[in-house]
Amino acid sequence: MVLLILLLVLAAAVIGTPLADRLLGRDAGWLLAAVLLALAGGVLALAPSVLADGHTPESVLPWMPQIGVGLSLRMDGVGWLFTLLITGVGGLIMAYSTRYFPPGRRLGFYFLMTLFAFSMTGLVLADDVVLLYVFWELTTITSFYLIGLSGPGASRPAIRTFLITALGGLALLTAAVLMALRVGTTRLSEILADPVWSQDPAFATTIALLIVVAAFTKSAQFPFHYWLPDAMAAGTPVSAYLHAAAMVKAGIYLLMRFTPAFSDLAVWNAALITTGLITAVIGAVFALQQHDLKRLAAYSTVSQLGLLVAVIGVGKEAALIAATVHTLAHALFKAALFMMAGVIDHEAGSRDLRELGGLARLMPVSAGVTALAALSMAGIPPLLGFVTKENIFKGLLEAPGPVWAGPVAAAAAVLASAFTFAYSFRFAYGTFWGTPRGSTDVREADPGFLAGPAVAGVAGLALGLAVPILNQLGERGAVDTTGAYYPAELSLWHGFSVDLFMSLAAIGFGALLIRWTASGEHLAGRALFPANGPTVFEALHDGVIGLGRRISGLTRSDSPTRHLVMPLLVLTALAGVVAGAGIEVPDQYGDTTHPLDWPLVALATVAVIGAAVTDSRMAGLVMVGVAGFTTALWLFLLGAYDVALTQLVVEILTVVIAALVLRRLPRRFHPVPRTRTALTALIAAVAGVSAALGTYFLTGRRDISDSGRYFLNHSEEDTGGTNVVNTVLVDYRAFDTLGELVVLGVAGIIIIAVLNSSGLLPSHGSRWVVVSRRSAAYDADDNTMIMRAVGHVLLPLIVVWSIYLMVRGHTDVGGGFVGGLVAGAGFALVYLAAPSASVARIQLAYPMFIGAGILTAISSGVLGYVDGSFLKPLHTELALPWGGSLHLTTALVFEAGVYLAVVGVVLTALNQLGLEESRPGDSTLGVMGTAPDQPPASTPEKDPGDHPEDPLDTVRNGGTR
Amino acid sequence: MTLAITIGVLTFGAVFLMLQRGLVRIILGFVMLGHSVNLMLMSAGGIFRRAQPLIGYNPADVASDPLPQAFVLTAIVITFSITVYMLTLAATGRDDDTGGAP
Repeated sequence: MVLLILLLVLAAAVIGTPLADRLLGRDAGWLLAAVLLALAGGVLALAPSVLADGHTPESVLPWMPQIGVGLSLRMDGVGWLFTLLITGVGGLIMAYSTRYFPPGRRLGFYFLMTLFAFSMTGLVLADDVVLLYVFWELTTITSFYLIGLSGPGASRPAIRTFLITALGGLALLTAAVLMALRVGTTRLSEILADPVWSQDPAFATTIALLIVVAAFTKSAQFPFHYWLPDAMAAGTPVSAYLHAAAMVKAGIYLLMRFTPAFSDLAVWNAALITTGLITAVIGAVFALQQHDLKRLAAYSTVSQLGLLVAVIGVGKEAALIAATVHTLAHALFKAALFMMAGVIDHEAGSRDLRELGGLARLMPVSAGVTALAALSMAGIPPLLGFVTKENIFKGLLEAPGPVWAGPVAAAAAVLASAFTFAYSFRFAYGTFWGTPRGSTDVREADPGFLAGPAVAGVAGLALGLAVPILNQLGERGAVDTTGAYYPAELSLWHGFSVDLFMSLAAIGFGALLIRWTASGEHLAGRALFPANGPTVFEALHDGVIGLGRRISGLTRSDSPTRHLVMPLLVLTALAGVVAGAGIEVPDQYGDTTHPLDWPLVALATVAVIGAAVTDSRMAGLVMVGVAGFTTALWLFLLGAYDVALTQLVVEILTVVIAALVLRRLPRRFHPVPRTRTALTALIAAVAGVSAALGTYFLTGRRDISDSGRYFLNHSEEDTGGTNVVNTVLVDYRAFDTLGELVVLGVAGIIIIAVLNSSGLLPSHGSRWVVVSRRSAAYDADDNTMIMRAVGHVLLPLIVVWSIYLMVRGHTDVGGGFVGGLVAGAGFALVYLAAPSASVARIQLAYPMFIGAGILTAISSGVLGYVDGSFLKPLHTELALPWGGSLHLTTALVFEAGVYLAVVGVVLTALNQLGLEESRPGDSTLGVMGTAPDQPPASTPEKDPGDHPEDPLDTVRNGGTR
Repeated sequence: MTLAITIGVLTFGAVFLMLQRGLVRIILGFVMLGHSVNLMLMSAGGIFRRAQPLIGYNPADVASDPLPQAFVLTAIVITFSITVYMLTLAATGRDDDTGGAP
């Protein structure tokens, strides 16, 4: 429960960020810092229970019970440490951010940082692999935005970081799916406790490698390490949080979490130790080369993460104690250093070591804080970093494998630490002591600005002096990861042990390095490798894109015909193969041919021949309309009255709307060469024969389907509806219908969007009807009088009738679709009767109809939760005063949503396509009045002089109507 | 057999139109293909029972299968919305010609 509250508080903080930002501007950080630090306090308060007594708080909520996925949270010692780091360091950085940014609102930053804190906390508490994956990807996405929003130069680094970490995310997803399938649960703690890891080494190795890829990409291990310095394009608070304390630690967390399963696996040990140490050494060398303080800190993070990965790879108790406490030490000193890099940048105007030096006199507090953090990083007693690094040496000495493995691993760590000592010196000494360079007009930073790094830096000192209090943490970490208790015995002084001499060696060699390289100056800027990460990445990236372009180029075409013919050919070839191979088909079931069917076959044939031979667009449309009516008649014959009615109305509306479009296009179809016509006729004939034979042999050879039988027998008792088709639509399979409704609505919105961006063709010149001004047909107003009069009376009746159709749909022929279409047809009638397009415009906010329809349908679905699930219809019987009862159901609300959306789409089509002409930007989502650029209603009395160029005294009177 | 022939004829018309030049004929072919496929769905449900599935009018053991009917009903409305969308595309730009495309 307590874990759920923790996450909910963070979620509330995320949601509250916009308000805090509006009220407080950049000072919203104080509020968020207070929330995060309060949570950190809460986590600390759990320490006696979690660390000392060994309790493991859990919280389980169902999420997707059908597949066993739950919102399961669990906090063991490892989870406790990471939660503390995320909330504690997060709080310090939020406070720091209030002074890092200039005054003003910082919504994007605070929102994403809080969202990141939420995701990261979820990640380290998740006890379900699906949940773990979701939070993992959330951290990737927030990181992408946090880097990308930092400035114009940050977009490529953001994309590179995203692609690399997303690659790891895919590996994690694969591992999660494989584990869930194999073990049969998604609970992480159960998966890790499963015996499969020792029984099936091949499976264990596969998963281990996937987890390694995920962790290495996230924690910037060689060869993925370069994204971290690349990501320094982000603002300093982002770097301090994501790239020092939190996100990069997600990989470390993942490795620790999976240690119980893999610690005995040779591949795991080898991969982690080797890669970790390579990363540690090259990261440290690169760090010493940097001029930029932030990049120095970034490479240093890479190196320290390498040490952590290596020591986790050892898999023994002492090693994991070291990993646990060093994670804490590193988060403290590295966050402090990053924040100090930001402070220095802010106050001195540069973070380039070539422009810094001798600032200690001007910024004594900053110098002190930086020195504390740097000393901890360098591993100097009595700071925490000294103790934890010594433990890492000790842990690495136990590396499994051949006898030389331990000493070699420890030696590599000492080498990395020597460089660490050197670059720590470079960072602090080069900035605050050294030769004064650059501006001398530098003042000490604001206390609010320094508070965050100071707390982190001083904590490193305090915890170093009182290091035995971390024993419980280390021991619990070892229990969680190895299953065995092992005394941590952390202390500053162990006597003259091997690890003390290793520390001394690191410091001594580090001091020599400082002397030899003039604290890195001799190395700085030199290319040690022939290529750098981003260049390699971009080359690979471009290569992949180019390859994709070449492959797609084989089939790419803008001609729809070429795309359409491919599946047709494949399908007919498939039909040919099936026909050639021959299949067993059962006998016809029942009588499928009635004498009345034959006229429909003839009608369809006439329609198809007509549509195929005509070169007139309008005739083609009419012929396809005939085919549609034939289909409707077929549906009547088959007993599908609802469907037939829908088909009939849709056919009418299709013809009306197509006519609106056709008048903008040439009268004739585009000419096609005879050979092409012959070829397409051949393909069409093969397709038609395949379809007919397929239908004949593969359908109609069994009794009615089981589900159909169920619906017929149970719909009345289940739903109270007697129109079974309708109950299938709104009761049994309402979710499908909702999906289709959304598709319908989106089509309506897209029509508006397309016309808004590209405008509508004007009515085609050759289609204007030329009428003499003296002709009786000239005046459109007079001409349409009868139709308008009838329409005015009919429209309200049609609307009432359509609503009646909708309401009775549950028990009789009708329903929301049919009702909506009938109402749409009513509007079409009014539209067609109008004397001109501008008069015909329907003054309703029709896009709102679509939205209202979908919202109504969804809210009826939400009502279903009252009785257990989304879209479950609720029923009630209402006793009527005159006896009997009325059946009420929320399915009717759903029907109303369907009705509204359908009406909205029909109105959209009529209004948008019925314009005389429109240009980009004309279409809007609101009520559309008569736009000023519309031609006026064609009443010639109003504009007699409008056509002086017209010698025949004729005038265009608009459209084909 | 009659329904199978109708489906064959409609499919012929649909494919013939869809392979022609110009978006409007492709749309008309698409509409006709919709008819053909919808009838095929009905055929797949079985057409030996032809009474409407309305409880009260017809007993459950003669009524036709309601499931394909529900599929076809939504399919018709979806086809309508896609048709209108494609018609919109035909009415924008310069023309509906697809002949010059590479």
